[in-house]
This record gives sequence, C-alpha cells and structure tokens, in this order.
Amino acid sequence: MSRWKPAHAEAFDHAFRGVILIGFAALIIILWQTGDMLLYIAPNVVPYVVAASVVLLVLAVSQFRLAALSLWQRVIVCDCGHEHESDNADHNHERSNRLLRKVGVYGLFLLPLLLSAALPSTAFAGSLAVNKGMNMGASVPIDDGKADMELVELEGNVDPGLKELFRTQPYNLDYAKLGMLLYQQDTIEMKDQWFIEKLEAINRFVDNFQGKTITITGFVYRDKQLAGGQLIVGRMAMTHCIADIAPYGMIVELPDADAYPDDAWITVTGTIGKTQLGERQIMKIVATSIEEAQPSAVPYVYPDNDFASKI
Amino acid sequence: MENTAVQRKPASSRANLFAGVSLLIILVLYLFSSKAPATWLAHPKLQLFKTLFISIMLEAMPFILIGVIISALLHVYVSDAMIRRFIPSNPLLGILTATVLGILFPICECGMVPAIRNLIRRGMPTHVAATFILVGPIINPIVFWSTFTAFRGRPEMAYTRMGLAFVIAFIVGFIVYRVVKYDPLREAKAAPAVHSHAHHHHQHDHQHDANHEHPHAHRSGRLAEIMGHAVSEFFDMGKFLLIGAVLVGLLQTFVSNADLMTLGQGAGSSNLLMMGLGFMLSLCSTSDAFVAQSFQTTFHGGALLAFMVFGPMMNLKSLFMMLAVFKMKFVLLIGGCVTVLVYVGSLLLMN
Repeated sequence: MSRWKPAHAEAFDHAFRGVILIGFAALIIILWQTGDMLLYIAPNVVPYVVAASVVLLVLAVSQFRLAALSLWQRVIVCDCGHEHESDNADHNHERSNRLLRKVGVYGLFLLPLLLSAALPSTAFAGSLAVNKGMNMGASVPIDDGKADMELVELEGNVDPGLKELFRTQPYNLDYAKLGMLLYQQDTIEMKDQWFIEKLEAINRFVDNFQGKTITITGFVYRDKQLAGGQLIVGRMAMTHCIADIAPYGMIVELPDADAYPDDAWITVTGTIGKTQLGERQIMKIVATSIEEAQPSAVPYVYPDNDFASKI
Repeated sequence: MENTAVQRKPASSRANLFAGVSLLIILVLYLFSSKAPATWLAHPKLQLFKTLFISIMLEAMPFILIGVIISALLHVYVSDAMIRRFIPSNPLLGILTATVLGILFPICECGMVPAIRNLIRRGMPTHVAATFILVGPIINPIVFWSTFTAFRGRPEMAYTRMGLAFVIAFIVGFIVYRVVKYDPLREAKAAPAVHSHAHHHHQHDHQHDANHEHPHAHRSGRLAEIMGHAVSEFFDMGKFLLIGAVLVGLLQTFVSNADLMTLGQGAGSSNLLMMGLGFMLSLCSTSDAFVAQSFQTTFHGGALLAFMVFGPMMNLKSLFMMLAVFKMKFVLLIGGCVTVLVYVGSLLLMN
C-alpha cells in the first residue's frame, strides 16, 4: 500500500452527505411536529415516514463518523473505489467535471430542502379538483335484477321493513349497512369521517333517501355538466399522498348559486333529491340554508376500507 | 480501448443531468432574488408543484430506505453462490420463483430497483430479475387487498389485475430469457481496468467483486459497512427518484386530467389513455386502485385494468431509476413488451 494522505475531499463528501441526510430527517420531524405533514401525506403513511427519519439520522451519524475517520486513516466503505481518488489527482479536466457533477447531484438533493424552507405548506382544494375531475358517487351501476340478492342483517332489532328497503347485491352489503344507519338519523351529517363512504351509500340507495335532511361542509366547485342554479360542494380525498388525491362532491341546488365563488367553503343544509348525471340517477341537495364556513387546518378526507366493521 | 467507449456514455448523461439540475437551481435562485419574491413564491402553481414534489418524496422515502438497506444487507450477507442455488436453472421455474418472491417481499418499485441491481450483480439471471421487477409491485397481498376494497362492487377487478400482471410478467420474463444475451446493467460488471475508478468514482462499480479479498484496510465492522453501502446507494438511486418526482410534480401541476379525458373515450383509445395516465401519475401500487376507482364513471373496466397493471410496471418515477441501472435497450425492450401486452391483455379481458 502506498503512502497515505488525509483524504480531505472524502471527508468533505461524507460530511456533506451527512448534512443532507440530517436535512431530510429534520424536514420530516418539523413537518410531523407542526402537523403540516398531513398536508402532504395521509395519516396511515405518517408512521412509516417518521420511522424513516430515524433511519436517516442513524445513517447521517455513520457518515459523520466516516468523515472523521477518513481524516486520520484509510477507510474503505464498500468496494466502490473511493480510495483511488488521489492516484489521479493531476487530471484537472476530469476533476472539474466530477466536481460539477457532484454539485449537480447535491443540488438536486438540496432542492426539496430549499423549497420547504422557502415556501409555506399549503392545503389544496378546488384548484386541484379542476385538474382531476369531480366524482359524484354512484360509480357502480345499480342492478335492477333482484335474482341473487340477499338480505342484510344489521345487529340489534332492526325493522324488517328497513332491511327490505336496503336489499342489495352481496358486494354492496357494507354500503347497505351504512345506509341503514344513515336512514335512521334525523339529519345526515357529512363530516370528515366516512365522507366518501356516506356519499357512496346514499347514491347507491338514492330512492330511499328522498326528502331526508342533510348537512355538508366543503368547497364550492363548478363543472360543465351543471345546470343553472347549481354548484358542487366537494372534499378532496387522499389515499397516500397529494399525487393520488381525488375530489368527491354533491350537487347542490340553490337559487343564488352564482353568489358563491369557487373554492369558498360553505356549509349547506337541505333535503336530498335526485338528478340525472349521464345515464345515472344521483343525489342532489335542495338547499334550505347556506352559511359560510372555515376549512379545517387539514381539509382532506380519507377513504376507510374497513368502515363496515366499525359501524 | 473498448473500455473508454463504455465509460463515455454515463458521463454524457451525467452532464445532461447536471444541466437539468443547474436549471432548477437557477430557477430557485431566481425566485429567491427576484424583486418581488412574495408574488413569485406565492404563485399557486409553484405552491402546487412544491406540495406535489415534497409529497411524492416523503411517501417514497420509507420505501427507498427499505430498498437500499435490503440491497446493503444482500451485499454483505448473501453470497453469489447462495443466489445461484436459490434460483432454479430451468428458465420457467426461475420465472415462477420470481413471482413468488414478489409475494414474499411486498415492496413497491422505488425499493425494488436498488435491490434488483444488487441481485443481478451477484448473479441473478436477467429473466428472473425482469419478472421480479414487473411482478413485485402488483402481485402482493397489500395491493390485492387495496384493489379488492377500492372496487368493492367488482371483485373481478382485483382478480384480473393479479392475473394479468402474472401473465404479462411471465411472458416478458420468457422473452427476456430468449432475447437478452447481454449484461443488462449499465455499468460493466467485470471491467478489468482499475483506472476507470477515477473517471466516475461515485458511480459505484463493484468491479472488485471478482476478487473480493481485496485489501480491506481498517474495515470497521459489518454494521458500518452496511450503513456505508446503504448511504452510497441512497444517494445513487435517490437522485433519480428526485428527478422523477420533479417531473411528476410538473406534469400534475400543468396538465389537467379532465382535459386528457376528452382525448380518449372509445374502447381502444381509453385503454391507451389510462395507460398514459398511469405512467405519468406514477402512483404507489397500493394507492392507485383507489384512484382508478374514481374514474369508474368515465371509463370502462378494461381501461381501469390497463391503468392498474401498466402504472406500477412502467411509470415516470421508476423509469428514471431503471434507466440509471439498466441499459437503454433493455429498458426499451421491457417497456415495449409491457405496453403491447397490457394493451392487448386489457382489451381481451374486459370490454
């Protein structure tokens, strides 16, 4: 082995990588602590990302250790050939090229950190819905053939007539269960929990809910398919992250629909009616009162796969 | 000097990478230094881009860490002989083994690519690796369950998704077995020249694998080795993931799904359109079923199936990682086969 020199370049490299890793960990921890993380990812992903920050910190420490170590002994991390650097120190051109590449790569890693530092975290509602196209439920056609239908059993003493109303295909049982629960309520409240599931349940059994009272809070959205005197009140549903966000909403009928600007948050109370959308009959709300509302700090709703088992 | 010709290519693409990155840095600097930063920084499109970019990055972070740590563990603990013993030499059995591996290691494609690169380097046959890459993100219990619940009313969606993915991965694996006789990795596996280290030393060649008993001066234990290797791999793969995230963020900021929808409504064209959407959105395979489900009113089942099979196999985010690891012609072969097979398969199965 040739005579050994302290590897300043390597030490710097390791230290810089360590700094970037700490930066990512800090970004995650800050977002987590301030609660802003929910503006980027869904709650069920948060634990994994927070665990990732711990791993990042451990890896960062290992890099600092390597940096310190490489200042006073020859270190071979893995068989990557880092140690050959000093052999070719006089290739100036190659060196500057390598430096540029390094700047480029590290710049790329710094970009998310810089962006996060420079811009506040914001919530997105209507502006993203325009890019995505609104969902208004009833995605599954309602089968009229009553051939293989079975009766849903709701626990407790449920009126047999009610069960009869919510007779459905076996795969719709979960929605029937939720539908029966909603049917028995004086006012159906569209809150954060089960927003999508309730919307689907009402739309699947839309005839049963005619004339029922409902309240919904969400942002105002408009669509080409709307008739005059209508708007859509919607929420954004997130499965994992902003990239998979999808808007869900209900058509609201009111005389002065034009008075409410897009993206404004309102609370609508009204009765459920029916309207035609494409080939399907879906619900609409005939508004009786409208109030301005404040969006919650995290304005997203989340699909719940197991909602039926929690009823 | 065959060797230098091989080395040139990565260098020029690195230059492109650098050009792209510097443009971004310049943009950021400009945003910081412009006279009215408040108006620039508060621009809704920039906000949207930033949110998408950070969001995709955060979501991918745990998976890429799992990927690089698995890769590091494989590197340190699994010998080439063990891999060779584990994978049957019969090509069909080898491909079948790969599909089972996918069920056992439910990691999405961000974690898949680094682990696969390591396995190929250590002697995993190319056709097995290709099958594994395609099948891993789709055929696993988590994805099956999320598809099943997203399409509550149509359980056949989950079954056909798994089935079509299996058939396509199997066929592509077989095509790769027949066609690919070259080393699919971008970097020369056993280049003898020591010299090349200096030219692109962070490219992480494992040229010493052949003579592994290379003087390990002051090896500081296995744990340190695993961590060191994981960090190198993290920066190596992470940059491609970040480029992918930037592009996906830009696309979603400036291109509207609703406008795209008007492009394809027919049976054939909607399948193609949804495949394109799956490619651009680059969703995690565990969350894409829910998004597909939200398109049910616009598109028929075949198009949604095409979206859910094509997206996890080929997407903008993973394409960059794959191009970083594999030769262009190999990625093109796999991409071409997958595109044709998903299109035909989704048309045949559901329409």
